[in-house]
Amino acid sequence: MFTTGTKFLIGASVIALVATIVYGVGQDGVLGTVGLASATVGLVALTVLNAILRDSNVFADDEAPVETTAAAQYAPGASVWPLGFAFGAVVVAVGLVSYQPIVVIGLVALAATGGEWVVQAWAERASGDPEYNARVRNRLSNSLEYPVAAAVGIGILVYAFSRVMLWLSKTNTVVAFTVLAATILLIGFTVANRRNIKAGAVGGVVAIGAVAVVVAGAVTGIDGERDIPVFETTTVWQEEAILHPVEYAEGAAEGKHPAGLICESPEEFPEADENVSETVANKSGAYQVFLSASGQLSFDVPGPIEFGATAMSIPRSNPTNVIFRNESDERRRLSLDLGVQTVEVEEGGETTEVEAPRQLCTTLIEPGGAQLVTVVASEPSFAAAGVENPNGPPGADGYWFFVPGVDTAKLELVVP
Amino acid sequence: MNQRNHDRTKRRDASATTIVAAVTSKPSRVRIAKYAAIAGFGALVTGCAENARQDTFQPAGTNAQKIDDLARPVFYVAGAVGVVVLSVVAFVVMRYRDRGQPIPEQTHGKPALEIALTILPALILIGVAIPTVGTIMALSETDDTECVVNVTGQQWWWEFDYPVQDGCMPGGITEPIVTSGQMVIPAETNVLIRGTSRDVIHSFWIPRLNGKRDMVPGRVHTLRMQANEPGIYAGQCAEFCGLSHANMRMEVAALTGAGFEEWVANQLEAYTPPEAETLAAEGEASFIANCSRCHQVNGLEDADGNLIVSRPDLQVYPGAAPNLTNLMTRNTFAGATWSMLRPECRDNVWDAPSEEFTGRYLEGVTPDCFAEVDMREWLRNAPAKKPMYADPEKLGPTDGLYRGMPYLALSEDQIDQLLAYLLELK
Repeated sequence: MFTTGTKFLIGASVIALVATIVYGVGQDGVLGTVGLASATVGLVALTVLNAILRDSNVFADDEAPVETTAAAQYAPGASVWPLGFAFGAVVVAVGLVSYQPIVVIGLVALAATGGEWVVQAWAERASGDPEYNARVRNRLSNSLEYPVAAAVGIGILVYAFSRVMLWLSKTNTVVAFTVLAATILLIGFTVANRRNIKAGAVGGVVAIGAVAVVVAGAVTGIDGERDIPVFETTTVWQEEAILHPVEYAEGAAEGKHPAGLICESPEEFPEADENVSETVANKSGAYQVFLSASGQLSFDVPGPIEFGATAMSIPRSNPTNVIFRNESDERRRLSLDLGVQTVEVEEGGETTEVEAPRQLCTTLIEPGGAQLVTVVASEPSFAAAGVENPNGPPGADGYWFFVPGVDTAKLELVVP
Repeated sequence: MNQRNHDRTKRRDASATTIVAAVTSKPSRVRIAKYAAIAGFGALVTGCAENARQDTFQPAGTNAQKIDDLARPVFYVAGAVGVVVLSVVAFVVMRYRDRGQPIPEQTHGKPALEIALTILPALILIGVAIPTVGTIMALSETDDTECVVNVTGQQWWWEFDYPVQDGCMPGGITEPIVTSGQMVIPAETNVLIRGTSRDVIHSFWIPRLNGKRDMVPGRVHTLRMQANEPGIYAGQCAEFCGLSHANMRMEVAALTGAGFEEWVANQLEAYTPPEAETLAAEGEASFIANCSRCHQVNGLEDADGNLIVSRPDLQVYPGAAPNLTNLMTRNTFAGATWSMLRPECRDNVWDAPSEEFTGRYLEGVTPDCFAEVDMREWLRNAPAKKPMYADPEKLGPTDGLYRGMPYLALSEDQIDQLLAYLLELK
């Protein structure tokens, strides 16, 4: 009886009428009521007009042509895009009032679902043939959907995989990857040997694997990363002793670590000495300092040692790698005393400047072991001229290598 | 028109067409030939410089000579092979070009020829490889070292320090010496460079004395250096190292043994401050105020008599700036990019006969020869003269440290004072 457009206008007119009455009664506003009443009248007029013109369709009364039009053939199916679009709008709204980066996610959802919605709506009316419409839609959308979906899927897989990796312990990682590699090999072997295997079966296995990775990633991600132990370096211990002397002394009194500076101590400090010999990766092109069994320090440099030189010379302000090789029979560390430095120490909320030793050292090295220490001397050794170095020979100034606990082990370092 | 006239007309038209074609095509061939001749001539004359400072084909030391002895025969062999191959290719292209003839009978395989063409290049390569390996091994020798110099590259200059040693000269070097831009060595002496870098990879190359060697941060590489006779040998950083790579130059000044001893003695002389109430004395104060944070002058003291120790590591990314002690004993500055000698004085030193070179070099920069224009411009605005990362607004990636010398906003009076002071650093 009534065309679709007329039904829409009737509904709009009724809503306008109700709104006019509600507003007029509830708000006591003349102008607003007049405005709404005018809109209601206008809508009613349009409704009547449209009912007469029957949606301006000259064939409105002719059933046959109408049934052949594309619009008449279309029976819209269920679509998920309006739901996604609404979800995107909600995310945008939530992001605006909470955490703005969420807005970006909402906008992306709006753009993606809105675009899909528009394309689907357009395609469904492209012709009277639903199959053709579906092909048109796929041709337009799939070129974007597939790569984006692949990128997102791979991203999820990689992220899930990384969660698993960060969750596994060092030992379990080896076990897990042994099993994983064996499984992949087995599957590959099976697929290669069964020529009649169905593509669906292969796809199913791959899908199960992907789901397993995602699930494992979710579970391990929620459980959190494994504990990664922090190995204290000699520099950390040295700085701790200088910058926080009170806490450091308390720790020593409680037996948590030896007293005194690590670079002047022949003792082992907690955690600092684990696997030290594994740290030497640079085997050539570096300076070397040797501690002999008789307790003497000697050195070697790329090329010949300067003739008759008793001191090692390195460029100023240049990170220079020095390998310490312990050829003695005891665990020893190599230390370098570069004079004194002024540091700011905070205590009780006040900052004071104090003179502190400028030292660096290796950890304790087992007999026959080696460790690399990178030396940077920012000031020339003549800057320390006239100031006795407590770790050098008696009365000597300048910079000195020494070995805590071995009084005879001294080697001068010259920085020009 | 009868048939004869018609044929004559056709022939005339045809000849006219030929003439037109000749007129239009001949000049283009001539032009191409002319351009080819010019290009070929240009390529030839590039190798004709008699006094090329960085010519690898003018070896001036035993190490460069070893390379030359290897490279020349290889070039000759490679050139002969190239000529033969290209001649055969040209002959085949011309002789058997497509002229509409039928495709000749196709054959496959010629074992004798294939074997010969496999064995011959293999023999040539073996012939090249044997002396090449021998030369590489010989250039890696360090046992015959007579003098050691530490070389450190940074953007964009070279530092040379001479460690304490018994080598280099009778009595050895008793105190470390630091200089930059120009490495001074005794001639006829096997010098070993122990090189590294403070920032990025550089490459040390004095073409007339040896091949190039990369200087890598965290590693120490060695390079032999020997000059047959006194003279100055120019070089260039040979590894792209940033904005002013092209301005990272260096020279090796080879002196006689006695001359080298004199140079060392001069380098180790105690610092002498300028006379009071002179422009140079004002320059010293200005230097302490503006320059000594980065540039070390050994022995320089502040007004209280305290030794001034520069801390370039707090100002510049590589952590070092040229040590300016005895600056005027060198004759280039800013990465050996500009001369401190006027052109006539520079030529007098650089082109000196080897027997006179040492004396002229040791004169250093005299007031009469001081080319102050470049130095003045350098002090006025160094980043404008040499491209460097010295914009204070763009130091984020280096935590506020400059790469190169920044703009110091010195007044002209300060520049006058500094020039007077620097001229006394000798």
